[in-house]
Amino acid sequence: MTYKHTSCQSCGDSLISPLFCFSCNSLQNISDDLNHFEVMGLYRCFEIDSGKLESLYQRLTLEMHPDFFGAAPEEQKQLSEKYSVMLNAAYSALSEPASRATYLLSLFARGKNLQTEKLPEGFLQEMFFFQESLDEILESDDQSALRKMNEDLQKRYIFIESNFANLFKQLETSPESTEILQQLQIQLNTERYLRRLLNRINP
Amino acid sequence: MAYSEKVVDHYNDPRNVGSLDKNDKNTGTGLVGAPECGDVMKLQIQVNPDTNEIVDAKFKTFGCGSAIASSSLATEWVKGKSIDEAMSIKNTEIVEELSLPPVKIHCSVLAEDAIKAAISDYRKRKED
Repeated sequence: MTYKHTSCQSCGDSLISPLFCFSCNSLQNISDDLNHFEVMGLYRCFEIDSGKLESLYQRLTLEMHPDFFGAAPEEQKQLSEKYSVMLNAAYSALSEPASRATYLLSLFARGKNLQTEKLPEGFLQEMFFFQESLDEILESDDQSALRKMNEDLQKRYIFIESNFANLFKQLETSPESTEILQQLQIQLNTERYLRRLLNRINP
Repeated sequence: MAYSEKVVDHYNDPRNVGSLDKNDKNTGTGLVGAPECGDVMKLQIQVNPDTNEIVDAKFKTFGCGSAIASSSLATEWVKGKSIDEAMSIKNTEIVEELSLPPVKIHCSVLAEDAIKAAISDYRKRKED
């Protein structure tokens, strides 16, 4: 769970991200096995400061852009390309709660045998019913029924997101609990079905 | 990503969309989903209990074009087959027929699962 802020290899200032030093504008040499959280200088945790993530992403994107390293030595050029790819991958994995939960679960669940497709009892029937009702609502252009369904589904979606936060918090004290990991997997599975419905309502 | 001609054909003109009476003793219903994308697929079969032949099949799928095409094709293929023959339909045959790209293989898996789920539902209800 620990992230150690390291110091710049050129000027010694402390680093926000291990990829790049904003003080002396230098690309750092890093080990290849940094995970997405480490790339962004974050603790391995579900609840993150998204504003900070966003602004760090934008700053790093600008500073490390390969265009600025056109005249730099070949090694620097390659680093800027490599780090830009790493940065984009980390940002897209962490910026949205659901994808962040998916990624974080994958870190915790390494070597664990989870049932990856498991859903709560009766959930699929319920989703099928929702989809069919939505067909009817859209066909009859019943705006008030559509609003109602949208609200209900949004509420459930928010509930799932709060479940992510709670379950990951529980994991901090018992990171090996297969039961909590499986619960998280189930929550993630339900998230996709709900998102699918919400995307149909709010294209 | 471009869909193959056959996928587009099934997507624009899906065969056997609809429902069968799930309470009829000679039907079987399979409801399956793909959590990686949130697709839901219902496939139903109507069986002649004397011959074990699948005489009718219907489906309804909420998903991408490939999922719709896979289930549409699955209903076409199971019709006229015995339930044992239908049980042996492999997702790879669906992939081949529809030229599905690797990222859409899970749609064919879903269709195979739906056939199997419908048949096992029919068998289970026969026993009860």
